Amino acid sequence: MLAFLLRTAWKKLWTLFFVSVISFAVVYLAPGQPSQIDPLNPRFTPQQLERYRKAFGLDQPLPVQYARFYKQLLTGELRSFKDNQPVLGKIVERTLNSLPLFLVGTILVWCYAFPFGIATAVKRNTGFDRCTTVLVFALISIPGFYLAYLTIIFVVDTFQVDVIGLRTFGREDVGWLYGAMDRTWHLVLPSLLGAAAGIAVLSRYVRSQMLEVMSADYVRTARSKGLDENRVLYHHALRNGLLPFVTMLGLLIPGLIGGSVIFETIFAWPGIGRLGYEAILSRDYPVVIALNFVAAVLTLIGTLLSDLLYMLVDPRIRL
Amino acid sequence: MSAKTVLILAPTLVSLFLAQSYFWVPSFSDQVRGDPGRLTRYIESSIGDASILNPTLSADSASSEIAGLVFDGLIDRDMDLSYRGRLAESWRIFEEAYLLVDETQRLPDGGPVTAEALRRRLEAALAAGQPSLAAVERIEVEPGRELSERVEVKPADKGGPAKTVQLALRRPPRLKFTLREVDQDFFAKLDRLLDGYVGRIRPTRWLNPGLEPPLRERALELLAATEHNPVIMFQLRKGVRFHDGQEFDSRDVRFTYETIMDPRNLSPRVPDFEPIKSVETPGRHTVRVTYKRLFQPGFESWGMGMLPEHRLNPEALRAEARALGRDPDRFTARDSNFSRHPIGTGPFRFVEWRTDQYIRLARYDGHWDGPPNFREFLYRIIPDPLTTELTFYAGTTDEYAAQPHQVERLRDDPRFMQFSGLALGYTYIGYNMRRAPFQDERVRTALAMAINTQEIISYVLYGQAEPITGPFPKQTDFYDPTVRPLPHDPAGALRLLEEAGYRKNGEGWLEKDGKPLAFTLITNSGNEIRKAVMAIAQNAWRRLGIKVETLALEWAVFINERVNKADFDALVLGWSMGLDADIYQIFHSSQMGPFQLNFVGYRNPAADDLMVRIRQEYNRERQVAMARELHRLIAKDQPYTFLFVGKWTALYDRKITRQVRAPDGSLRYAAIVPTKLGSPKFHFNQWIKVPQPVGGPVHAAR
Amino acid sequence: MASNSTQATSTSGASPSRIVWRFFLKNRVAVAGMLTVATFFVVALVGLPLTKPEHPTLDPREVRLPDKLKPPLSMPNRTALAPELLPRLGVYLFGTDELGRDVFARMLEGAFVSLAVGFVAVGIAVAIGLALGGMAGYYGSLTLGFGRYRLVTVDTLITGLIDVMLSFPSFFLILTVVAVLPPSIWNIMVVIGLTSWEGTARFVRAEILSLREQEFVQAATALGIPGPRVIMRHLLPNAVAPVLVSATLGIAGAILTESGLSFLGFGVPPPNATWGNILSDGKRYLFDAPWLTFIPGTAIFLLVLAFNLFGEGLREAFNPKLRR
Repeated sequence: MLAFLLRTAWKKLWTLFFVSVISFAVVYLAPGQPSQIDPLNPRFTPQQLERYRKAFGLDQPLPVQYARFYKQLLTGELRSFKDNQPVLGKIVERTLNSLPLFLVGTILVWCYAFPFGIATAVKRNTGFDRCTTVLVFALISIPGFYLAYLTIIFVVDTFQVDVIGLRTFGREDVGWLYGAMDRTWHLVLPSLLGAAAGIAVLSRYVRSQMLEVMSADYVRTARSKGLDENRVLYHHALRNGLLPFVTMLGLLIPGLIGGSVIFETIFAWPGIGRLGYEAILSRDYPVVIALNFVAAVLTLIGTLLSDLLYMLVDPRIRL
Repeated sequence: MSAKTVLILAPTLVSLFLAQSYFWVPSFSDQVRGDPGRLTRYIESSIGDASILNPTLSADSASSEIAGLVFDGLIDRDMDLSYRGRLAESWRIFEEAYLLVDETQRLPDGGPVTAEALRRRLEAALAAGQPSLAAVERIEVEPGRELSERVEVKPADKGGPAKTVQLALRRPPRLKFTLREVDQDFFAKLDRLLDGYVGRIRPTRWLNPGLEPPLRERALELLAATEHNPVIMFQLRKGVRFHDGQEFDSRDVRFTYETIMDPRNLSPRVPDFEPIKSVETPGRHTVRVTYKRLFQPGFESWGMGMLPEHRLNPEALRAEARALGRDPDRFTARDSNFSRHPIGTGPFRFVEWRTDQYIRLARYDGHWDGPPNFREFLYRIIPDPLTTELTFYAGTTDEYAAQPHQVERLRDDPRFMQFSGLALGYTYIGYNMRRAPFQDERVRTALAMAINTQEIISYVLYGQAEPITGPFPKQTDFYDPTVRPLPHDPAGALRLLEEAGYRKNGEGWLEKDGKPLAFTLITNSGNEIRKAVMAIAQNAWRRLGIKVETLALEWAVFINERVNKADFDALVLGWSMGLDADIYQIFHSSQMGPFQLNFVGYRNPAADDLMVRIRQEYNRERQVAMARELHRLIAKDQPYTFLFVGKWTALYDRKITRQVRAPDGSLRYAAIVPTKLGSPKFHFNQWIKVPQPVGGPVHAAR
Repeated sequence: MASNSTQATSTSGASPSRIVWRFFLKNRVAVAGMLTVATFFVVALVGLPLTKPEHPTLDPREVRLPDKLKPPLSMPNRTALAPELLPRLGVYLFGTDELGRDVFARMLEGAFVSLAVGFVAVGIAVAIGLALGGMAGYYGSLTLGFGRYRLVTVDTLITGLIDVMLSFPSFFLILTVVAVLPPSIWNIMVVIGLTSWEGTARFVRAEILSLREQEFVQAATALGIPGPRVIMRHLLPNAVAPVLVSATLGIAGAILTESGLSFLGFGVPPPNATWGNILSDGKRYLFDAPWLTFIPGTAIFLLVLAFNLFGEGLREAFNPKLRR
């Protein structure tokens, strides 16, 4: 057990090292270095160029520059090109803004995907199943920003309410309940849209997992004992079938940074995804590199966590 | 609870909870939901953030807008565009004129010229009621004096450091006339009265012949035969207080001027204030501004916000620099925290500025003109045009600038009231008159007649523009409405070109002496409207038989390589204008050099004369008459094909209205009336929002 | 196909690919998906010559200002337009954009580009996936190092690389790289390809690991057939099924990714019209000209959906467990 843990952690550390190298190299090793991509690029002002040279210590050998960059990042000394604020502080601040969006989105995914997936599994090969299959794939296939615009145009035209941003602008001094509900409302559309694809994918997993256990021997046995169908499904099948999903909890963590760029941009949500997009637009390389790195670190933590959970849940795994 | 119940209940409850939050948020029709304060808050949106909130240093529109609310100027424009006093209660404009006494000359009666003799003679004429001296209030003698000053001389070879040289000279005595009103022709009249005395003065006579050129220029300025010094005396309003409680007085006015002229501050407003000779403060509430020369457009610039001297004077800046640990000698008003936390006398005081998010202003209850009705003014920065539109529909901003293509759709929307007006500026095609074939007025006219402006307006601008015929803003009196636009007449254009010697060749192209009529039309890329105009013009001219190439260039290349170096045949471009009649920089023949604005090379002595006289004329009627004459002259010469002026449309929530106090003290609602320019915000201080719209739909357009 | 594939054992008589195909045809949704994909293909191929830059039949670049923002099915303005400017179809089937360009012609032009981005990107991804997955599966136990020091096995190296790549948030990584590189359609294809090979590599590795234990491979190896030949002739053909499935789904993903990049302003640069950047340009006119959003949005949606349904149909057809 301990050996397994150590081995996993050791592997993750190596992965982490390579992740940090790639994050750095992606920007650094771009042909001709970012400063020279396009001499006419008006986004790259001489001051930025100067700061770029400073931040990366361009005159030094590559490994030194690499070490220096991550040392600055981890000690919180690394500063954004754009406003000279510490990169780490910016990331933390924006992550906190993204957190509610992420939480509500996750709740939505898990609340909807399970009933939906189970229902389709139970009613396998009926018209309902076929319709929902198409619907699920529709949700996976629709470009998120297109769906977002359709929703926005519908909601704004019909209800004439604000849907953009963290909260309705200029309502700082309303009662706390109004304030809280206002924030909740602003969470609804972006989190629902962000969850749509997640619901589709997860419900698909749930369906196949359910199908698998429903044909398993112990479920057949339970059924043949004459147990109530509901009890068979929700007690015997579900419990065993869904245990593996517990491990997915760990894999949720990277979602915090991952796919939020587009929705945060559309909804003017000052979160981590938008920070990334803004940083890319303004060629704020310290933030860009740091974000890629931090996101990868979160993924690693997530997979580690999920490995652990898997071990706890599934007694067969004792490697 | 069984698993099944949980599986059904959980999503249902989550959905219900999320859905019910809708009932807590305000909608466009119910903006006060949970927040009655919304009615006393005005929210405006802007694509870009402000840069610096010091009105003497800012150049962008966002900063100017905020500064306009936080600061007051001495004057501003009334509903009908006439001047109105703000921090200045009243003002008087008069003139001090100087005449050099040339003792080498003889008077008409043969007597020697001395200052005293000249004065006595003119006073006698004044007493006799001589009409050309009607404006004279007083004649005094200014004794001859030694002048000495340091002049900065730039070395002949570029790059070397500038040195300062001492200039000393003796100026002969001068006669000083105090005139009741500014009269640019005063010395011409005097010359006639004195039989050509003024014209015969040769200032070079007092000049040391060995002077270097820059010193010589300055010396000749000091020795000018005549000098006009228009003077503005401002009587300031008493009891006006800055937001920090300090009283506003004449020192603040002088300080504002000094801030602009301080070269370390790099103020973009220097050209407006450079003609000023001195700003004096004879009393706590009196300011005397003396100009070096006649420059009528300078008056307008006193509408600029007045700075609090006690916050930005050298001692305050040094103290601030020391507190911040910066070098006090290099710390300027630009570096001061004031630029992000301005303090003025305006109707709103500054509260908070979050970069790229919002600027918050609050009502200043101590405003001399009565506090505004809105308690708060929020300036929200929304970089995305679609989001701007969405927030307006949701009622979280109160104002929306409709794009031309949206005007039709939003015009009859009962939720909004709409105001529109013409922009201050126009789009034109300019011809490089240094090059063939554009020297020929007939060619320029023919080119203009080939273009269907109406077509451009209706198709390119969705009808949101008007044709113009000349160089002045269409809403001002300077624009001569009797000038008819050139007809769209391709056949007539062809006749004109034939008159100018062009004939169609076998292939249908126009040519003269075997050379085809061909040129390149350029504009900047990035402006779709100009590009469209370019395409339409090219098409129209091709149909006449003119070979036209078009080119859209990147802005920097377009301006630096082509316009500034006058390296083009014809171009599509636009001007944005002020409300004054000064177009000297754009059309005067002295402004044809590289990097100057008369890049088309327009040269007409009659027009030159009018442009000079217009900026020197302080009498409004005479100025209007001259401007109209200039308009007719330019319209005839067609240095540009004047195309159109765009129309803006601003939408407001119809729940906004005006609340005014009637003479009996009761409050009542009044209609929002636009100014002559179409702007509805003249009475912004009286605006307020009400839960439901008052009265019927409002359509106000100029 | 090699006859001893695991899938083939259960059914008697007919060849395995036949069975798969027969089963696939029974899935009406998947067949609909396949037909839609085929239709889009035909449209893209027909559209290519029709909208070619020189003398196009349907000109996607012609700016007609008098006909700006016309809704679908509206007629051109015959009085204001020169006859040579009139649209060839006599009607704006999909309306016009803010410069009066024919959206139908632009969509036609974009069809090929959008599909090409998907195919080339996935082609790259599959090539890398096959190569690395194949190596990890077959040569996995080889160790690398200097002289006597054996450091890592090939398998560890490749699975490690897969882990590293999977750690990155792929869309953000793509966005970063695309933004750093000069804008070009090839860069986008390559970058999407380089960041989406991990799934294929894993499948291939797992498949080959299980196959190499089977008798026919053992036999081939015992006969002294060289490794690459074993991989090419005996292993990869058997791994084709999962690769085909993941490639089909991958194309759907790549098209979505390209449209997302276009939306954020980092897509295929002009003058190439793709559905993504038509949509992105049209978003400013959401309220005034919703068709500029609806038409490309719906087209992307339908194409991606078709690929997904087709791919899912293939997956079910290939998987004997799901054939019931």
